[in-house]
Amino acid sequence: MFPGVDTTSERNVPKRGMTWRSGAGPLLLLGALAFLVMAEPAFAQVPAGRDYGDFPVIGGRAAVWIAAQVHLLFAAFVLGVPMFAVVTEAIGIFGGEERYDKLSKEFTRLLLVAYSATAIWGGILLFLLITIYPTLFSYLAQVFSVSMWMYAGLFFFESFTLYLYYYGWDRWKKGRAKWFHWGLGIALNVWGTIVMFIANGWLTYMMSPPADVTADTAPQMVQLWTALTNATWMPINIHRLIANVVFGGAVVGAYAAYRFLASKSDEERAHYDWMGYVGNMIAIGALIVLPFAGYYLGREIYEFNQQMGITMMGGFMSWLWIIQAFLIGVLFLAGNYYLWVGMGRIPGAERFTPYTKYMLIVLIIGVIVWATPNTMIASREEFAAMGGSHHPFLGVLGVMSAKNTAVNFMILTTFLSFLLYRRANKEPVVPWARTGTIVQGAVFVVAAAIVLFYGIYGYFVDTLVRIGFSVYQVLTVLACIIGVITIDLLMLRGATSRGQIQWGRMPDRSQYALFILAVTFTWLMGLMGFARSGIRQHWHVFEVIRDNSPWAATPALGYSAIVISSCVLIFFALVAFIFWLGSLAEKPVISSVGQAPAAGGTGSELQPATSEG
Amino acid sequence: MLKTNLSILAVVIGCLGVFTWVANAIPQIQSDVPEDVVFTGDVSELVASGEGLFQGAGGCTACHGLGERAPNLLTDHEGTGIIGVRCANRVAGQDCKQYLYTSLTDPNAYLVEGFAPIMVDASRTLSSTQIWALVAYLQSQGGEVTVTAADVEEGGDEAPAAGGAPMAGGGAAGGAVANGSLDPQELLQAGTCIACHTLTGPSLLGPSFETIGARLTAEEIRTSILDPNASVAAGYETMAGLMPLIFGTTLSAAQLEAIVQFLASQR
Repeated sequence: MFPGVDTTSERNVPKRGMTWRSGAGPLLLLGALAFLVMAEPAFAQVPAGRDYGDFPVIGGRAAVWIAAQVHLLFAAFVLGVPMFAVVTEAIGIFGGEERYDKLSKEFTRLLLVAYSATAIWGGILLFLLITIYPTLFSYLAQVFSVSMWMYAGLFFFESFTLYLYYYGWDRWKKGRAKWFHWGLGIALNVWGTIVMFIANGWLTYMMSPPADVTADTAPQMVQLWTALTNATWMPINIHRLIANVVFGGAVVGAYAAYRFLASKSDEERAHYDWMGYVGNMIAIGALIVLPFAGYYLGREIYEFNQQMGITMMGGFMSWLWIIQAFLIGVLFLAGNYYLWVGMGRIPGAERFTPYTKYMLIVLIIGVIVWATPNTMIASREEFAAMGGSHHPFLGVLGVMSAKNTAVNFMILTTFLSFLLYRRANKEPVVPWARTGTIVQGAVFVVAAAIVLFYGIYGYFVDTLVRIGFSVYQVLTVLACIIGVITIDLLMLRGATSRGQIQWGRMPDRSQYALFILAVTFTWLMGLMGFARSGIRQHWHVFEVIRDNSPWAATPALGYSAIVISSCVLIFFALVAFIFWLGSLAEKPVISSVGQAPAAGGTGSELQPATSEG
Repeated sequence: MLKTNLSILAVVIGCLGVFTWVANAIPQIQSDVPEDVVFTGDVSELVASGEGLFQGAGGCTACHGLGERAPNLLTDHEGTGIIGVRCANRVAGQDCKQYLYTSLTDPNAYLVEGFAPIMVDASRTLSSTQIWALVAYLQSQGGEVTVTAADVEEGGDEAPAAGGAPMAGGGAAGGAVANGSLDPQELLQAGTCIACHTLTGPSLLGPSFETIGARLTAEEIRTSILDPNASVAAGYETMAGLMPLIFGTTLSAAQLEAIVQFLASQR
């Protein structure tokens, strides 16, 4: 037995000496063979009677944690970027604007160099799991063997689709061939999504195994499909899909920011200014939707196990959400700051500048409320300092009624920033423009009033009723966003321009906001990964396989933060290195900046180089 | 370009530093693994193990510690006393031990009015002995510990038999605080009074006992012990409700009087 391992409570640990289940069918794809080639020798190395290995200096858990987190960060990037690469390519195809095609290709070039790093870290993670948690891995392999083979096979499909997609870009550039090429982009997303869904099935099984799986259930008896499609599988799938887009956009934004700062010509600055803007828009746009997916995930966790939900939101992890609020506050502030500074390059935007200070005030108040703790595990001295078991401010602001109201106001404010940015250099020409603007304003006011009403009303009703109010608030904000943007799209058809967007005329400080966004998104992903994994507490598979390792206790946030920061640092160091490597091989694709605007162009924030706006 | 690179590095490191610092500046709470409990026959050890589980790895305080998601077990609940006192009166025909064990292993059996059925069966995560340790600890909060060796050994998943001989050296019962001692300072210590009050110097959650005899009569002190919310000291209004309502049952008359006379003499 491994030193320090608790041997007195192993009733839930699977029997040692588990072996691969044979006869799994004919799905021996090439990838499956590769997977087995990797896995078999490692299994052979597992000494009999050993449940846990070790890793020098940092310990086994930290080693696996870092490998898993860095692998996931790269994986999120290579899954997120194709989603908007294929969209920008489509804009290029349907809009007939080649610069979008070039931008899409540049996105994909980043993807290519990050792809191998994803695979390398996946391999590191696999080997660490096999050598440090051999018994657990053996159990999971028996439950998920077929899906693991499929995963490896799909990885091949994904890899070769990516290579075809990138290297075939210039060959399949026109006519039907271009459609085929775009189809490759879609296929790339399909493979990637399936791969992610499979891996999500493994990790969510550990978190929320089916109710009929107990400590006494032999892994061979667990139904694969039931295990994969467990209670938190789909919420995690949706949450990760959106989060990957957010993350991909943020990293692309940081890449563009670096290239902007390193640019030696106005043309380059203009191109990377635009690219950074697009990356930021993708990240912030998807971020606005992410809380709704998070709410769905949280609800499913509570549905699965109330105690797990309480551990997550009100137990030892309760302070994690204060950190999360702080991070999201940084994201909202940095994202809005970038938009506000960006308005400086748009003729006509100055008329909206006076409003930014009010939006800043709303955002700051929102962050303060959102970051207010609800309840605190306090010492007697702290109780005495607070003047009771509840601080008077905490009692009012630290509850969900206040927090939900604050975050919805922050979303509305960010949306307003985007709307003003979008309108900055446009002059609507439709006869109902004034009415449309008044209606838009009214929609904002009504939405804010509804959010505020339910926020205040929430103080006077029972908990269960109050929880339902958050749904009304969310739906109100969503309806506002959809309604206002619909009016805007119709109202700005054929709009005249107040002047061309001066792409590239951005102060350097704005680019640092993009770095802050990327680092904060990445750190937030690490934190949320800790939350998702940590709520299992001392279980490998929740209430099925107990963690008897020396690292079974779930660490406090301070230690976790150090590990997360290390992961983020490793990730960005590697990203910088591989992007630098990529730049050695190929010159960046610069879109045609500074050309005359298209006839009748009304100016779109997504039309950088040649538009009137 | 070197300056730009260094600036970017500084921004990245700065962000990571701030985030790490913030995460280290907040209260550091680790989720421990529930320690295995081995019953040696010493009930005080069992109670201590139960306390460790309740306050720590058992995760009980996430709901029961604040009294918002679930009744606070360590303070009074609607005038029925703390858990060791009220447990015997919750369900007709069930003694305290039965009630607590059932509530842990079948939490929705006797749901307290006003609270949602959110608790899960403790036996999914705790061993039988760990559950008995929790029962013993909760009984010790104002009541008599009646968990027996037979309960622990035979417990399994079965509910305990009614009754059962109290174990030697059981927890606090009426008049059993500090093993029946009449030493007021020992009683103040054992009754955890000085967790919130102090004998001298600045106090925390309740008024200092220093010069209390000059402020209150013996009768007022007695009333304050038995019914703390009857009159709340000036400056401590926000602490109202924190003091347990248990001392009328946990202290014998002689012990109560010893404390009252001691405090009345503090001038």
